Amino acid sequence: MTGKEKKAARRVLFVWLVFLAAVFVAPILVVLLNSFKGQFYITDEPFRLPTAETFVGLTNYAAGIAKTGFWQAFGYSLFITVCSVGVIVLFTAMTAWYITRVKSRPARIFYYLLVFSMIVPFQMVMFTMSKLANMLGLDNPAGIVFIYLGFGAGLSVFLFSGFVRAIPEEIEEAAMIDGCNPIQMFFLVVFPMLRPTAVTIAILNTMWIWNDYLLPYLVIGNKYKTIPIAVQYLQGGYGSRDMGALMALLVLSIVPIIVFYLTCQKHIIKGVAAGAVKG
Amino acid sequence: MQKTLRRYAAVFVLPTAVAFTVAFLIPFLMGIYLSFTEFTTVTNAKWVGFSNYVRVFRDSSDFTNAFWFTAKFTVVSVVLVNLFAFSLAMLLTRGIRGTNVFRTVFFMPNLIGGIVLGYIWQLIINGVLSWFMVDITFSASYGFWGLVILMNWQLTGYMMIIYIAAIQNIPSDLLEAAAIDGASPRQVLRNVILPMVMPAVTICTFLTLTNSFKLFDQNFALTGGAPGRETAMLALDIYNTFYGRVGYEGMGQSKAVLFFIMVAAIAYLQLRATRDREVENV
Amino acid sequence: MKKRLAIFLCLAVILSFGLLASGCGGDDEQGDDKTASGGTIYYLNFKPEVADVYKDIAAAYKEETGVTVNVVTAASGTYEQTLKSEIAKAEAPTIFQINGPRGYQNWKDYCADLSGTELYKHMTDPTLAIRDGSGVYGIPFVIEGYGIIYNDAIMRDYFELKTKKTDVSSMEDIQDFATLKAVVEDMQAQKDALGIKGVFASTSLKSGEDWRWQTHLANIPIYYEFQKNDVDLTGDETREIQFQYDQEFKNIFDLYINNSVTDPKMLGSKQVADSMAEFALGQCAMVQNGNWAWSQIAEVSGNTVKAEDIHFLPIYMGMEGEKDQGLCIGTENFIAVNSQASPEQQKLAEDFLYWLYSSDTGKDFVTNRLEFIAPFDTFNEDDRPSDPLAREVMDWMEREDVHTIPWNFTLFPSQTFKDDFGAVLLQYAQGQKNWDDVKNLVVTQWKSESR
Repeated sequence: MTGKEKKAARRVLFVWLVFLAAVFVAPILVVLLNSFKGQFYITDEPFRLPTAETFVGLTNYAAGIAKTGFWQAFGYSLFITVCSVGVIVLFTAMTAWYITRVKSRPARIFYYLLVFSMIVPFQMVMFTMSKLANMLGLDNPAGIVFIYLGFGAGLSVFLFSGFVRAIPEEIEEAAMIDGCNPIQMFFLVVFPMLRPTAVTIAILNTMWIWNDYLLPYLVIGNKYKTIPIAVQYLQGGYGSRDMGALMALLVLSIVPIIVFYLTCQKHIIKGVAAGAVKG
Repeated sequence: MQKTLRRYAAVFVLPTAVAFTVAFLIPFLMGIYLSFTEFTTVTNAKWVGFSNYVRVFRDSSDFTNAFWFTAKFTVVSVVLVNLFAFSLAMLLTRGIRGTNVFRTVFFMPNLIGGIVLGYIWQLIINGVLSWFMVDITFSASYGFWGLVILMNWQLTGYMMIIYIAAIQNIPSDLLEAAAIDGASPRQVLRNVILPMVMPAVTICTFLTLTNSFKLFDQNFALTGGAPGRETAMLALDIYNTFYGRVGYEGMGQSKAVLFFIMVAAIAYLQLRATRDREVENV
Repeated sequence: MKKRLAIFLCLAVILSFGLLASGCGGDDEQGDDKTASGGTIYYLNFKPEVADVYKDIAAAYKEETGVTVNVVTAASGTYEQTLKSEIAKAEAPTIFQINGPRGYQNWKDYCADLSGTELYKHMTDPTLAIRDGSGVYGIPFVIEGYGIIYNDAIMRDYFELKTKKTDVSSMEDIQDFATLKAVVEDMQAQKDALGIKGVFASTSLKSGEDWRWQTHLANIPIYYEFQKNDVDLTGDETREIQFQYDQEFKNIFDLYINNSVTDPKMLGSKQVADSMAEFALGQCAMVQNGNWAWSQIAEVSGNTVKAEDIHFLPIYMGMEGEKDQGLCIGTENFIAVNSQASPEQQKLAEDFLYWLYSSDTGKDFVTNRLEFIAPFDTFNEDDRPSDPLAREVMDWMEREDVHTIPWNFTLFPSQTFKDDFGAVLLQYAQGQKNWDDVKNLVVTQWKSESR
């Protein structure tokens, strides 16, 4: 192939990629477009641009926010996600370090149980778990953080353990001789070394918890609505299904994700790749 | 050091262990027990042996239908997602202008939650089908392909990232050597790149496999099982059995146990595949 | 990069706590403050269309008595499932509702005996309540009616049309299915002259939006079947049906889907709100629905239908002697008090209900905001709802020359039966299934769901 041909081929590829990218973005743009149209003009002709007749400005947004209490849902989602991820990263890192270093039988059994939990589908425990959560008074935004710790522990401990094993024990032994107790050692020596893994785990868990629907719906859904529950609630009825409000809510729920993605893109892509290789 | 550390078990292990027991261990064991009972709340269970399991297959064909639908869906999406993801990864490792932007765009749908994705695609698919004066509830195959398209849109970017990482890890001297030997691009792909990314292929295959098999949110939002219950996948069928009606909880729980066994079987296959590969590498 | 991540995280934490703090302070929906002096009761509401009104009622009641009423509303079509998960909780609903004798069978462990309550004593017709032995376990709190709602302005246009092919000249002439069919088909043929898109509004068959057909419309043939065979409605005979009037059902259903604003193949994405909007915007002349739909009609912007032009027509489907048939009037809303709640809570619940249906404030809410026709003697002539559809229902109820059809669909075996029925109707409309499939499914599912 000559240089010229190569260049031409590249140009074709580039155009092709631009086309593909457009296909990937288009669905979101269609939703955005429809969020400005009257609710009865959406189902029938979703690809038509808003016209003077069908354009309703921000009415749909006002309706969607009012009907679902969107800001509150956003608050719950944020609170639950941030707290759960924080708790998961901290406690599973500690657990992973402990069970990797202490090679006792109970530690090993616990580790295998955790790994086992990764393959159990949620449907297996959804009923019993939500009942138990209610009996123990965990059916509130603080309690669900605890549930997420228990349910997310499997993957996170598994990933952390893999990296702990790669840390040479000599470093810790040296620190010990310097008079560190295990708690100091964990926070001053071990955790800093685990930081890249912690970022990966934080990102994987954020993606899971922020978007999770069934678990929060079953545990706290009737009283506290997270964003996915709010979207589904709007669809499920509330008098009449308002397609306009639904479109607006879809847009509102995508915006935070895009902001998060564009801010931490590098970490996310790296984290996903790292998480997958291990998982 | 182990000895000192052991004394701190309460600090390091207790929070996770308690949460794990409450959120997973007890519910799991209770779930297995309840699948052999009839109950409406967890406190009024009556032992009925295997009758729930018999009912799963005798009372209606919902579960079997859902299984076949899920199986078909899983096979098709595993093949398509990986094909697209790998092709995209090949395109994006050639140093074309704007590679980073493209990567960003292709990956983005992955971050959007299943419920939201379902409603986005419901709008699009119904919009397209309305040109033919039908909608997604018209036939189960529309729902099927709708789910496949949605799954591709969501997962292609994710798998692409993994493939890109794998392709970039191929030592460049290997490719150069192949070029010097006069290998055609097809030969390079077949004999150099593919063998080198096989581990990534295994990973991606199983990731798409489990994700497709356990799909719930997307199915729930996009078709909700319509028409009838023809497009309900296993997870949705279990949910409907549990929460759709009174008096079917025991049957729902035994469906869940069966579902768990299937997922565990897939995981076992994955474990073996990964092990075999590791042996080869050694 | 790391710095950015850190800033982002900090912002997220601050924002989430801020939002929660403001959210908890400003909204009464959660209302978890147990410090409230007068106690708390929990009402699980069935009617999503009036969810906001109940919130106002709760606020008014709290102001008067200090008792907090938490109102939670289940999304449409999910009441049974929500009730099921809520009732098993530590803070279970104090007041909930059952949809009739079938519902009572499911929930009888939780239904308190209400025979001693003030509310029961004030019922205009105590036989409407759900009884079991000497106890009263469900009290109806609203009477509703449905039929074919029509826009008289469009009908007048039709009757004056020069190209009219029927000899019907007023709505009074339509007293059976054959006449209705002739008029509808002629109107559909001349829809452009009438300025409408179709005679009937879309037959909404999206799942969860199909209750007007699988429940309300189906009520009529089932009612006639029970009548004809002299079935004891309280006994086990209702566990099996033949669906012997399926052809009559098919008559009217075909008429709906073939003379409509929407192509039959497209009905699977239509919802009730679409139908009501079509009617309100004057795109169609008729829609099958009940008096509760008034608010939905009235609130559509660009509404062209005048209140005085809205009337009801009975749903004629070709039954013998249907000239005397009136609207379908009854209730599926029976209030029940949770017998497993503490006695104090049960008392609070009874007081709240009595207040709502007897005090001036409460009655005002019931009549003017909930727009209920309340079956209690605490309501007199002046307390009637002002909306045209509710008035029509009352007029029809009082007419001597027609017989009202009761709501026998409270005997339908389960939500699953109704959902499956709705799904097969959609497939029939799309041409994917034939009528025998529909009939078959109704008969077999009724039996298997009645176990």
